[in-house]
Formats: sequence, C-alpha cells, structure tokens
Amino acid sequence: MSPLKELPTRPDPARRSKLNRRQALSLLATGVAGGLAACSKPDEQILPYVRMPERIVPGEPLKFATTLPLAGIGRGAIVTSIDGRPIKVEGNPLHPGSLGATDVFAEAAVLSLYDPDRSRTILHNGAIAPREALNRALVTELSETRNSQGKGLRLLTGRTTSPTLLRQIDGLLQAFPAASWHAYDPTDDENARQGAQLAYGKSVRSIADFAKARVIVALDADPLGHGPDQIRIGRGYASGRSDANAFSRLYCLESALTLTGAKSDERLSLRPEAIERFAASLARELGATASATELAERERLLLQKITADMNSHKGEAIVIAGPAMSREVHAFVHWINAQLNAPVRLIDPIDRTPSGKQAGTLEQLVGDLDSGRVRQLVMIGVNPAYDAPADLHFGARAQKAAFRVHMGEYADETAAIANWHLPQRHRLETWSDLRAGDGTASIVQPLIKPLYESFSEHELLAWLSGAEDAGAYELVRQTWTSAAAADFEAWWQRVLHDGIIAGSGATAVSLAAPLLPPLADSEPHDKRDDEISLVLRPDPCLWDGSYANNAWLQECPKPLSKQVWGNALALHPDEASRLGLTSGDVVTVAANGRSIEVPVLTEPGMAMGVGALTLGGGRQKVGAIGNGVGASAYTIRTSDNSWRLPQIAIRRTGRREPILTTQNVVRTPEDVRELYPQYRLGQSLPSAAIPHPPSLMPPAVKSGDGHAWAMVIDTSVCIGCNACVLSCQAENNIPVVGPEQVAMGRDMHWMRVDAYDHGAPNTPQLGFQPVPCMHCEHAPCEPVCPVAASVHDSEGLNAQVYNRCIGTRFCEANCPYKVRRFNFFGYADGEEYGNLGAESYRGQKNPEVTVRARGVMEKCTYCVQRISGARRASERQDRPLGPDEVQTACQNACPTRAISFGDLNQADAEINHRKADPRHYALLGHLGTRPRTTYLADVRNPAPSEPEGRT
Amino acid sequence: MQLFRPGANTIAAVVIAAIGAVPVLAVGLSYEVMRSPYVTNQNITRNQPVPFSHEHHVSGLGLDCRYCHTSVEKARFAGIPPTEICMTCHSQIWTNAQMLAPVRESLAKNQPMAWERVHRLPGYVYFDHSVHVAKGVGCTTCHGDVGGMRLMRQAAPLTMQWCLDCHRSPERYLRPREAVFNPNWQEPKNQAEIGPKLAAGYHINTDHLTDCTICHR
Repeated sequence: MSPLKELPTRPDPARRSKLNRRQALSLLATGVAGGLAACSKPDEQILPYVRMPERIVPGEPLKFATTLPLAGIGRGAIVTSIDGRPIKVEGNPLHPGSLGATDVFAEAAVLSLYDPDRSRTILHNGAIAPREALNRALVTELSETRNSQGKGLRLLTGRTTSPTLLRQIDGLLQAFPAASWHAYDPTDDENARQGAQLAYGKSVRSIADFAKARVIVALDADPLGHGPDQIRIGRGYASGRSDANAFSRLYCLESALTLTGAKSDERLSLRPEAIERFAASLARELGATASATELAERERLLLQKITADMNSHKGEAIVIAGPAMSREVHAFVHWINAQLNAPVRLIDPIDRTPSGKQAGTLEQLVGDLDSGRVRQLVMIGVNPAYDAPADLHFGARAQKAAFRVHMGEYADETAAIANWHLPQRHRLETWSDLRAGDGTASIVQPLIKPLYESFSEHELLAWLSGAEDAGAYELVRQTWTSAAAADFEAWWQRVLHDGIIAGSGATAVSLAAPLLPPLADSEPHDKRDDEISLVLRPDPCLWDGSYANNAWLQECPKPLSKQVWGNALALHPDEASRLGLTSGDVVTVAANGRSIEVPVLTEPGMAMGVGALTLGGGRQKVGAIGNGVGASAYTIRTSDNSWRLPQIAIRRTGRREPILTTQNVVRTPEDVRELYPQYRLGQSLPSAAIPHPPSLMPPAVKSGDGHAWAMVIDTSVCIGCNACVLSCQAENNIPVVGPEQVAMGRDMHWMRVDAYDHGAPNTPQLGFQPVPCMHCEHAPCEPVCPVAASVHDSEGLNAQVYNRCIGTRFCEANCPYKVRRFNFFGYADGEEYGNLGAESYRGQKNPEVTVRARGVMEKCTYCVQRISGARRASERQDRPLGPDEVQTACQNACPTRAISFGDLNQADAEINHRKADPRHYALLGHLGTRPRTTYLADVRNPAPSEPEGRT
Repeated sequence: MQLFRPGANTIAAVVIAAIGAVPVLAVGLSYEVMRSPYVTNQNITRNQPVPFSHEHHVSGLGLDCRYCHTSVEKARFAGIPPTEICMTCHSQIWTNAQMLAPVRESLAKNQPMAWERVHRLPGYVYFDHSVHVAKGVGCTTCHGDVGGMRLMRQAAPLTMQWCLDCHRSPERYLRPREAVFNPNWQEPKNQAEIGPKLAAGYHINTDHLTDCTICHR
C-alpha cells in the first residue's frame, strides 16, 4: 500500500504507530473474540459455615432484648438480627420506657452502628497509637496520682443511670478519695432539679401519669416532644383521649410551637417571662398568698378556664413546667400538683451512685481546671468541646489538665483537645445496663461483635481502677449477682430474655408537703418590643448533636417546620417582617459577645419577642454527613440560663440561604377542612360516608384467600413524632437523597407526616396526618403504567414490581396522594449520601426487601415482607393467620398506637372496630379511589366557655 | 427504460415478507434463547471442590435430604451443610480418602468449603423452601432425580413460567406429606384424582398464588 502523501492530516512519521492496518484489524478481531469468549456468566459460590453457630439459621431473623440510651436514660428495645447483623430496632412491650414502641433515635441506632465515620482506633494527639502505649501512659499517670489519693483526677461522664457504671464510679472514688466525678448532659434540666430542691428540700424526680390526668397544663413544657420519656407520656396522652366520657384537656402556654402545643386543646403563645407570671397567678388562684399581678385579657380568660377545670378535677389534674422556666416556677408546680393531688409519682433521682454520691457539675469542673487543680481529666462519652455552654470556654480550659483522655464513638471535637482518644463501643455491640425513667433497670446486650477495636466505658473505668483486662460482660454480671435470686444463671437468662429486671423500679418516696417558695411579685415588666429573647430546644431529629452523623435523622423532616439538613431561627412572621426579614434570610444572632449565623424561618406559632433555635447543628468533627450542617446554638449558650437567653441581637447579613423543606404545612382553610377534619368533643359528626361514586374500573378486588389488608390511622392521637417515618426507613431499605436533591423537591420517605393548621393566622392549631400509600382499590396509578409494573394483588395490596418498572413516572403523576417516590439516581447505593462508597452501610439492609436501583419507582408496600413472613409462618404450622398477627413497621413504632393494620375480612380485627368509628373518613374519598388506608378525624376538647367551636 | 432486472420482483417479495416475519422470528428466537439451557443453566453439571455424589449418599446410603439440608422445613433456604456435618461421618469412615482432603482441610483451617452454586434465583425472587415443603411439594419435584445425579445439576429451567405453571395448578404436583422427602417418588396414575384432595388438605388456595407479591417485594 503506497502512503498517501498528499493527505494533510498525515501524522508525523516519527510518531506513527508501528502497526499497519492489517495488524491493527487482526488485533481488534482477537480482542473482540477474546472479549466475547470471556463474557460467560460468572459462577457463584456458596460458602457454608464450618461449624454452625448455635441458633443461627441462615436468612432467618433472631430477636434480642436490649436497651438504648437517650440522655442517659434507657428505652427498651427488641433488635432484629439476620445472619448476625442487627438491622431493625423495635420496642420492648415489657419495658416501661418503651411499651413496645420506639422513637426516632432508637430507630436510627442501627444506622449509626454501621457508620463508617465512627472512631476505629486509639489516637494519641490525633495520630494512631497502640493500646500498649495508652496502657503505659495510664499506668504512669495513675501510679503518680495514687500517691496523692487521686487529687488531680477528674472523671467527666454524661448523665448516666447505668447501675454498673455508677457502681464502678463509686469504686473509683473509693480508690482515689481525692478525685471527683462530674456529669454533664447538654439537655439536662437544672431548673427542675433546683425547683424540687426548693419545694421539698431534696432532689426528687417526678413522673407524671398522663393516662390518669383529665386536665394537663404545660407551662413552656413539651412532654409530648422528643426525649427519653416521650413514648411513655405519648401513650398516656393517647389513653387519656380514648374514652369520650373521660377525655383529657391539654392546656399549653409556650413561647415556641412544640408538639405538645400542636396537640393542645387550648394554646397561648407567650414570652417565657409572661408564662412565669402566669404560673404565679395560677398558684395564687389555688390558694397561695401573693399580691395580684396584672394579666392581659386573654391570659386572664385562660387562667379562669384552667382554675375552673382544675378545681373540678382534683386528683386528675397535672401541671408541668419546662426547662426554660425558673426554679421558682418548678417549685410552684410541685406545690400546685400537691394541692391538686395530681397523678404524679415522686421517686429518688436515678443518676446517683449506690453510696448516694451525686455528680458534680461541669461548672465546678471548669473552676477546678481554671485553678490548676486538675492533672488527669478522663472524659467518657461526652463532647463538651462542642456542647458545653460557650462562656465556660471548655476547650481552652481543658488544656490546663496535663493528661486528657477522651472516650467517644466519634473522634469528635473533644477528641481533638484530648491527648488520648479511645473509640467507644456502639450500644448495639457492648454489655451494659441502664435504668428507665421510672428507675426500672434493664441490661444492654450486644447484638454484634464490635466492628472495630473499641472499648466499653466499663472497661475503661476498670482500667482506671487497675483491672486492665476486665470485660464488660463480667462487670455487668458482678453488679447484679447480689440482686439475683438463688439461681443466678436462670435469673440472668430470664432478665436477658425479658429485657427488664422485674421489680427494680424505684418506689415512690413519701415527702412532706412541698414548701411554696416566696412568690417574687414580679412587676409586669414587659420587655420592650424590640427586645428578643431566645429559647433553645433539643432538636427533634439530632437531639443534642450527638446524632448529627446519622443521615436518616438529618433527612428526617422536623415535625413542625418540615426542615431537613439544617436548623433555623424560628420567628413569628410579624416579628420577622418588623425586622425586615423573610424565611431564608441569614441573620447574625448575637448574645453575650458571641454570635452565630443562621437562616430565619417564620413560624406563626411563635410568641412575639421570642426566637427559637434547636441544638445539635454546626458540628465540626463528627463525620462526612454531619460536619457543617446547621448552626451551633451552643456557641451562644451560657451556663447560667442554658435554655433561655434573655436578650439577643438579630442583624441581617444580606445573604440568603434557602430553608430546605420536604413539604409545607397546609394552611389554606378549604383544604384543611376537607383533608383533615377536626371536631370538638361531643360535636355531632356528619352522617355516614358518601356512597362510592360510579367507576369504570373493574369492581374492587377479587376476594383472594380471604385477606383484605387495610390500615386506619387515628389522627387524634398522632403526635407527629416521626417514629413511623424512621421505622419505615429502616425496615424498607429507604435511602436518603441528600440536601441537593431535597432542594430539587425530591425525597424518598415512603411514609410522610402531613401537617394541617386549623387555627387562625396567629393562633395555629396543628394536626398531623401520617400518609403512607393508600392502596386504593381503584388505584389511579395502575391503568397508566405502560408495563403493568403497578398492579393489584388479590389481597388489596397495590404492588410495585421493580423489575418491570421502566421509570416513565406516569403513576407518580396520576397519584392524587403523591406517595410514589422515584429513584432519579441510585440513591441506595453509590450516591454520596447513600453510603459514601462504604461497605459497612450494607450491613443494615433488610434482606427481605429489594434494594431499589436507579430509574425505578417505589412506594409503601404495607410491609408486604411482613405479611408474607407471617403468612408463611402460619402456613408452615397449617393454621389460619390471626386477626392482628401482621404488624407493619410504622404501626409497630408508633408510641401512641395511632396506626392500626389488619384484615378487613376478620370481624374481630382491631381495624374493623376503628372503621366503625363515626370519625372514620377516607382521604379524598370523593375521587372514588376507595383507599384501603383511611383515617379517624381529629378531636379536640377546648374548654367549654369557648364562645365558638373550631371545626 | 427497464430499470429492474427480472429478479427484482422476487427480491421485493422476500423483503416484504421479511418485514413481517423477521420481528416475529426475532422475538421467537430470543424467547427460545431465554429458555435455552444456555441462559437458564439447566442441566449444566458443575465441578465441585469435592465431587460429592448425591447418587451415592441418597440412593446408595439412603440418607434423608434433611440430614444435610437442615433448615429446609423452617427457613427460606434449605441450607448447605456446614463442614462439621460432613465430618460427623467422615471422621469415622473414609478418614484418609484423598477425595475428602478439602473437607478435612476446611475443618482444620476453619475455612469454609467453596461449593459452586447450582441453583440460582434472581435477587428479586423471594423463594421459601419451608412453605413448599409444608404444602406437599416434594424435593425432587423441582430438583429432579437427585438420587441419580453423581454431580449436582439443575434439573428444572427455574424460569418464571415454570414457577407459574405449578402456582396456577399445584394439584398436579402435590404429594402426601410422608412422600415429600422421598427421592424415588413417582407420580401415581391417579394424581388427577388425589391431587385436588391433597390441595384441599394442605389448605392451598390458588387465588393468590399468582399475585406478584407472593414472590416479589
């Protein structure tokens, strides 16, 4: 072949390939042939066990009882483990802090377990160090301090109720009498403790029984909100509203909208100072001597109603004060409750050591640090460098201790200021014990061998006491040997199986009548209009910030604002417009010389002159998910009033930062009335539902083998806590999408909680409506699917066949309830927020549910895997499926038992009793979709003197 | 002027016919390919680390299926026996057989045997052995004449059509409970007669057996 010299594109001869065309083509052919030959199907291998572990059946779930802490207090849990991997947390019905239900934090614990950002190794000044090096350092330090009886040794823990840890602390303090123990929890309610001290002269813990209360008055308190007692209180609230003849009435005075305020029957938004004044007036109405203070008209009216209600319900009325109320108000509340003979039980505090020692405070520790009295500072499971009030300057002052050890699940902000950091075991991989809010103890049982070389706090304390090799299991058992009956092993097995230690609850203490503290006749010193105070709240999703690296919680919509991936300063709309601000304006919030930048969110439920901010944002060193999300309220928090900053300055920065929300609160009156009907107690309900409109769709569903699955959700007791949302997420392998995708209007939750506002513009009255798939009998999504991926089964389930779905999204467009979710990307695997490429997250996936790929539509399946599992179990045993045998994940998690699920064809199923309730209604029933998921309308019980009822 | 040669008519006729026929043939061909053993892996015998013979253990020695496949009655997976089950016998007999060296090595080194998978269902199919066994579907109904197989092979195509064939009318395949694990079971002549009775006795209701949610979720 002669070269074509005239072609201008001819390459430089020197760079020309040595191959001629013929050779190149033959190589190509070889390559293709080789490639095709190699393109055989890969062989799979099966690796059986060498020795089968006891009780394990591959692919079959095992359940173990354990306990999960929140703010140091335990909530019982039954954790499902498949092939050794814990995948789902459920409540333990026997445990008084769980009652068979969960909350968002318990549900999200399984994701935190597999978090690839967890601390994995011992660090010395930020660098990896061997265990021997730490041991040498500890031995040297401890032998020095032993000579001085531990004079320079300080132990800092979170609030703890663990009997084993408290016993060990006692032991350590005996070995080092000059040492001291401090405890710090950023969500602690110091005012409540001091209020009890004022009223009774000693610390007591009060446990209110909402089930027995007919009149509940919450003074800037949020008992239904997130916290270690939420499940118990929520259940009590729901049972107090089950009987129309003994229906409770919830009064709520609050400075910022809370879940309690949303569910209240009478609500008034007031500044915290005004609520304190109101509390004093209430005490006076009930017989306390004090001079009168002037109350505004609406406050006076409410006071009249409350007093009348209380006097007619002696023994059934409770007053509760929140952490932002002063200690005097807490003391009034004790006095009022004693006057009313309220259903409140007083028990001894549950966070004392066996010898009665109470932890010192963080302020005392900082004082000691400042004066140079601390040499060894051991911090276990706390993160004060992040969450201590800013005026303590903990990070800087801690440097005055020469030897600083930190133990935590993350190499966090405090690890960065410590010489030594030890990885702490996750709660699902360690032995420990905890007490519930009422003092009932239970064991923390590991579900999995530790994923990383980490340590339990019990092991570290034993290490400090000189027992380097003590294991947490033995330490916990030692604590309980004396408590057990004669046969310890049998007792221990029963305790592990039941998940509680029966009879370990605290008994009520009998106390003299509480003293009434002198009523400070506070002048009606109303602040000037331009003075704004700030109230702080634990975050409904991130709590105190320790859950910040949990993607499920970051993307869990906050119940009242539906905000995700961040926090915001809530202001009343009028307040915001007075300041020239709208939602999304970034402002500088300054107090006591420190400031943070945070976007503004207008919230009609706020009191004028009050801003509200949640804790838990602005983490710097927690991991890839949580770093830099939101603003840290701790930066402006002070130690003397940690829940309320009397005066803040708000200055606009001119920047805007959109508030990321997944949806809006519905406020258009006609929609609210139609979609979320609300009745007054005793109001006559409209007659039975309208008959189904005529339809061209085939007649309902064929009868099948007799099951007809349906769900009824009682909106009157739904407290909007999101436990169902998270439970669904854990059960059904639902991925997160990340803030960028949320900003584009995408999210993947199969269960959402809609919020409806029945109130007037400045007096919101919110109700919550969980919305899963309606499983319509005449499903609009089905006829529009070109590939029949959306089909009905014979039991009424509207199924989505992922393997058929080609992603046209016609079904989503045609769904009137907007419950279908589309995988625009491979959210479950490979996307940044899905797994960060980390193998460990795969451990959480439920093997009974398909992990959906990119381009596939998905939605609630009524937990078809649970229906199938229950059916297969019953068929194996050749018996019919019981009426309430199948429990969906959302139903199982619900603290107030608002969700019921069952078979319409079984007359004795709970669902049929609910369907017969006159409050029963179908969402958008007039469309003729015949949804299988239906609702019970909300009922409120406003005080009778209310001139006109709300509808 | 004559533009077309005499053969042009024939070519045109063939082309027109092909426009109609090729799509039909292509669909038919791809169906055939999808059902062929090339895709379904039917009747492909795989090499195993140890040439375990079902023929010897089942037909020769008469071992029950459940002696090794322990979870077949209680779980989705029938279970591949752990090494120690092999060693219950082979620690006593054939203790030095060269053929069994990998088994002894597995136990000694605590490393699992790597068996080649023979029956593979796609990840979106949730098959449960225990229910099928409880409802009178015998092992050999799906797995074929295991007692005659030296090395294991997949006897059935395991296509969805094959599954549905039985889910639509299971009475054609059901056995009495005592015959479920019988490797030599032959379908009786009066299956058409006893099948419906067995189905009624097992409380099998075929109405929901073809729902998508039965196998996919």
